[in-house]
Amino acid sequence: MSIELKLSRASRIYHPSEPLEGKIIVKSSSSISHYGVRLTVNGSVNLQIRGGSAGIIESLYGVVKPISILNKSTEVRPSGKIGSGTTEIPFSMYLRQPGKDNLERFFETFHGANISAQYLVTVDIIRGYLHKTLSATVEFIVESDKADLLERPVSPEMVIFYITQDTQRHPLLLELKSGGFRVTGKMSTQCSLSDPITGELTVEASAVPIYSIDIHLLRVESILLGEKIVTETSLIQSTQIADGDVCHNMTLPIYIILPRLLTCPTILAGPFSIEFKVSVVISFQSQLYKLHPKSDPTTPTLWTAMESLPLELVRTR
Amino acid sequence: MEFRPRNYIAERQSHALPRLRAQNHPLSAPSSPLLSQVDVVDHGNNDFFDPLRRSDNNATVSKDDFQDHENTSSETSTQLPTKEWMSFKRFLMQRFPVSKMVSISSISNVIVKGAKAYDKSSTSMHLEELEDPEKYAEEGVKVITRQEYVSRLHELKDEINRSWRANDRVTSLKLSIKVARLLMDTSILQFYPTLFVLAMDIMDMLGDMVWERIIWKAEFAEDGTRLCSLPDNFQASDICSDAKETCNNWFCKIGSIRELLPRIYLELALLPCWRFLVDKPEDCVQRLVMMTRGLADPLASAYCRLYMAHCAQKLPSHDIGYLVKCVNDIKILVMRIISAKETTQGNITNNRRLLVTLMEPTIEYIMKCIFKDASQRQVGNVLVELGLGMNQVELFGSFSCLSIVLHHLLKELPAEVVTSSAVEILHTIECSNDYSFDQCLNYRLVGFRLSERKSRRDIVHAVVDKVTQVMSERNSLDEYLKVVDAYVDIVLQNQMDNHLNTILGGISKRAYNKVVTEDELASLQSILVKLLTHFKVLEDVFALNYFLEILDIMYGSSRSIVNMHILNMATRNSSISDPTSIQLLFEISQALHDDGDFLNTKDDDNQPARLISRFVHVVDYGTEMERHLAFLVECRGAFSSLNELKETLVHSSNCLAIKALKDAKKHLSFVKSCIAFSEVTLPSISAWVKQLYLYLETAEVALLCGLVSHSDGLIDSAINCLLSLDLMDGSRTSIDIEGILSAIQKLCSHLVMVPGNSEQGVTYFPNNILSFVNSRSWMTPRMRTRVFCTILTLTATLSQNKLPYHADHGEIPGNDLLFFGDSSYLRELVSFAEYVLQNLVDTIQQEPSQGARGSMALEACNCIASSFMLSNEISQVCFKLIETARLCLSTSDKYLQSTITRLDINLPKPMVSPSITV
Repeated sequence: MSIELKLSRASRIYHPSEPLEGKIIVKSSSSISHYGVRLTVNGSVNLQIRGGSAGIIESLYGVVKPISILNKSTEVRPSGKIGSGTTEIPFSMYLRQPGKDNLERFFETFHGANISAQYLVTVDIIRGYLHKTLSATVEFIVESDKADLLERPVSPEMVIFYITQDTQRHPLLLELKSGGFRVTGKMSTQCSLSDPITGELTVEASAVPIYSIDIHLLRVESILLGEKIVTETSLIQSTQIADGDVCHNMTLPIYIILPRLLTCPTILAGPFSIEFKVSVVISFQSQLYKLHPKSDPTTPTLWTAMESLPLELVRTR
Repeated sequence: MEFRPRNYIAERQSHALPRLRAQNHPLSAPSSPLLSQVDVVDHGNNDFFDPLRRSDNNATVSKDDFQDHENTSSETSTQLPTKEWMSFKRFLMQRFPVSKMVSISSISNVIVKGAKAYDKSSTSMHLEELEDPEKYAEEGVKVITRQEYVSRLHELKDEINRSWRANDRVTSLKLSIKVARLLMDTSILQFYPTLFVLAMDIMDMLGDMVWERIIWKAEFAEDGTRLCSLPDNFQASDICSDAKETCNNWFCKIGSIRELLPRIYLELALLPCWRFLVDKPEDCVQRLVMMTRGLADPLASAYCRLYMAHCAQKLPSHDIGYLVKCVNDIKILVMRIISAKETTQGNITNNRRLLVTLMEPTIEYIMKCIFKDASQRQVGNVLVELGLGMNQVELFGSFSCLSIVLHHLLKELPAEVVTSSAVEILHTIECSNDYSFDQCLNYRLVGFRLSERKSRRDIVHAVVDKVTQVMSERNSLDEYLKVVDAYVDIVLQNQMDNHLNTILGGISKRAYNKVVTEDELASLQSILVKLLTHFKVLEDVFALNYFLEILDIMYGSSRSIVNMHILNMATRNSSISDPTSIQLLFEISQALHDDGDFLNTKDDDNQPARLISRFVHVVDYGTEMERHLAFLVECRGAFSSLNELKETLVHSSNCLAIKALKDAKKHLSFVKSCIAFSEVTLPSISAWVKQLYLYLETAEVALLCGLVSHSDGLIDSAINCLLSLDLMDGSRTSIDIEGILSAIQKLCSHLVMVPGNSEQGVTYFPNNILSFVNSRSWMTPRMRTRVFCTILTLTATLSQNKLPYHADHGEIPGNDLLFFGDSSYLRELVSFAEYVLQNLVDTIQQEPSQGARGSMALEACNCIASSFMLSNEISQVCFKLIETARLCLSTSDKYLQSTITRLDINLPKPMVSPSITV
């Protein structure tokens, strides 16, 4: 006996105004009598405090009460019997009732370190007291309604940055400090989720040979806890754009495809906020690197220079 | 028994065919109506396979085939691993062979680990590794054999394939990323091209699999029903969203690879898939070119561009701008290598040279791609882009260029551009002198490119002037030869005699007092062969200044090859009479002969030996016959090991004798010395049959010159030669037997002219032959029959009152004069003939094969009938033979019937059986 939920879209992406469609597939060697087949859709933002600027006490409490976005249930089939073999029960369910004023705010699906917005659809076949309820759950992905979105364009403006030994606020190797280096570039700071982050970077000078240049994509998650805001910055993805001591004065492109689920439009809600950052990290060749190969890429070291830029992610049509 | 008297003159007249004047020469081209008739027949008959006409007949079919092929190729994704790419890969592997051991740095743990613990559940292991790539990174370097490395890569390829078939595409991708990551390790320089080729196969395979999957998604619904069929030139809008989604996922997954190099390689592998998402995938190539600049390692970076050039060709349209950018970027990398400061010892310099050599194929391949179908205008743009030209008109300015890039550019540049801007190109070469490539080889290349097509005279002159001037400053013979070699053809074609003189002078000056190396020898050989091919007359070549000096500094096989060319050229003429030339050629032949390796080639086609023989053959001293004979004597001494030549020597001396004979009588002593020369030379010829023939030839010459006793001696030798044939019993082939038979026949026909010696008996020689034949067990009955018939015919001829032919128009008396009307002579012949006849009849009965026996009987019967008067005795013999033939052959046999008809006239009536008169 098995039960499976299959959504109509392979991508599992739905918009709030659209019906969630799919079918329930029941496979059984004998017929099943039941008290009804129920479908439940649940959406919530889960908040968790861990690390970052949270204190020990807050960490102990851990989970903050989740914020519910959506919780709907409907009976797709009244009590009866399901025959043996494979049975498919199609279903269709509106997430947001059309025509009505809906006050719920549909946050887009996001899987972060402390914050996650998740939507689940569950099917239950209730079979009385003697038998266990058959159920299956599938996550689906919610993206904002096209109608709610901003008109394009995302601002094409680029932020120009330059990184030298003087822009660094952390201690550097002596030869870096004295020899100096200069890396310039530009990058978009507002970016559509469906487009890559673009920009370019040029190594103009460097006394110490470069080991690698990476672009780190970071999420900044903040949760309101009582009167305090707990913020944590963590790494989503790092992308190398220069491997080794590249030629000077050659323009290197920055091209980063945003990972799904791990990114969402920048949100500044009351109880929490999700923001993003990009940081350009230049590692220089150094013996020290080999001694600490496992250091956290986001923490500054003697042999790295970095520059962080805010990044606003938006959903566009 | 009585010989049949013959009147040869009358017989010849009656048997000769009437002669008619022919309209056309039998070998001239056939007349046109006949030809068209043949054509018609061919068209009607398709079964007839004519490879040259086939394409005409089946043109439509083959075109269809071609289109079919194209369809499939684009369907199964851009499978452009064209032959070109395949051969290029093979070339890469072969060009940089790898030492047996490969040390592996930590990056390649997939290789080492896999080799050790391949039995473990592979997928779980790989997942582990992927999650924590650093975990397996260990200090130090491991060493595995090259074979292990290669076989591990093959295993990985199989694994990727297997996972894909098992619908575990994520594993396939992860493993492919690992493979791409291997390319980050350039620590073993020589191994890199091999590694590249192996990894590329895997990348291409993955690319094809993804392409096919998305095509499938676009063409088929999930349940397998066909939705549509994509045309070759589909647009992104033709693709359903599901397929697009899948495609997009692939690019997202690749985009999340942290390291730059594997990310670029994977995207290149999937490059054609961009067509599902965007209509202008060329833009991605532009971005990838820029991204590749982030790879600082020159080797990894250059090979990455090579792969890019390969992948971009799978796109339906692509410009060449990105390729030019690639070349420019590689150029910067090479310049960086070259200009890097001399930090440590010469070892580093060697390494750098190696590095440049390893990068060379990438430049070569990309250049090829650029000029594959570039238009004139594009060529101009490319040159400007590469920083060589000012604008479309001035294609080569006074800029320098990296010489390795310049080299491959010159190699691929359209010939008309090379010819029109040759002078400017030379200038550029002059400015470009760095150690990435030998400057001389660029000068050389221009020469070769110029010789490809005819160029303007003034340009050619300017170029050659410039090159000779540049080269005059170089003292290295090797460099000088390499460059000059390329220009010799041009110099010769344009009759620039003074330049030729300068060049040859230059060579001789640089080679003076120096041991010439192998490379230099090869160049010298090439130059001299070009000279020899150009000139028509050998004397002109010999007359060139320095030619002989240069020839003298050569040695070994190159020298021999040049010598052979010279001899070949010399012997093209029907005669050589200039004594100086003869002397030179004799020395050349001697050099060729002394080059032991060369002569000892044991094949049938011994070119040098043949050339020397041919040379001796065509030498002609004219009236100085004594000198000619002396020359032959000299040759015999000098070329003692050439068997073939000895035959030529005998022929030549025989010819000489005949020539002297024709001249005047006073040369008799000279003729004698010629014959003596032949006689002395003959025994050393090892091929018996040839020796036999030459004995006969010499005997004939001797007889012709009136030297009867010499002739007799030679015939004796010939028969002795026959006798010694037996010594090598067993190794004889059937061809030899035929040869021996015809030699015996020839001997017999010669004996007709030889005056009989009454002391030895007139049948002395035939008798010897007879006893030879009878004493040899290997003689087949068939052969014996032939010989007996021949001897029979000979005796019958000798009995005639007038012989059919005489030596030297009758100046030497034949037997007809010597023994005219001599009854004892006739008696001797008759008794001998009787004996032969008996032998003949007996031999026929020994033949085991029926058919052969029948025809032998008929042959003998005819021979007897024409030799003897049909007395009763002879008729009996003939009758018996016909009976034998009748038993052996069918009655309808033509030969049997015609023999019977012939004998019918001569045979008494009752002898013919009524059964066959029907």
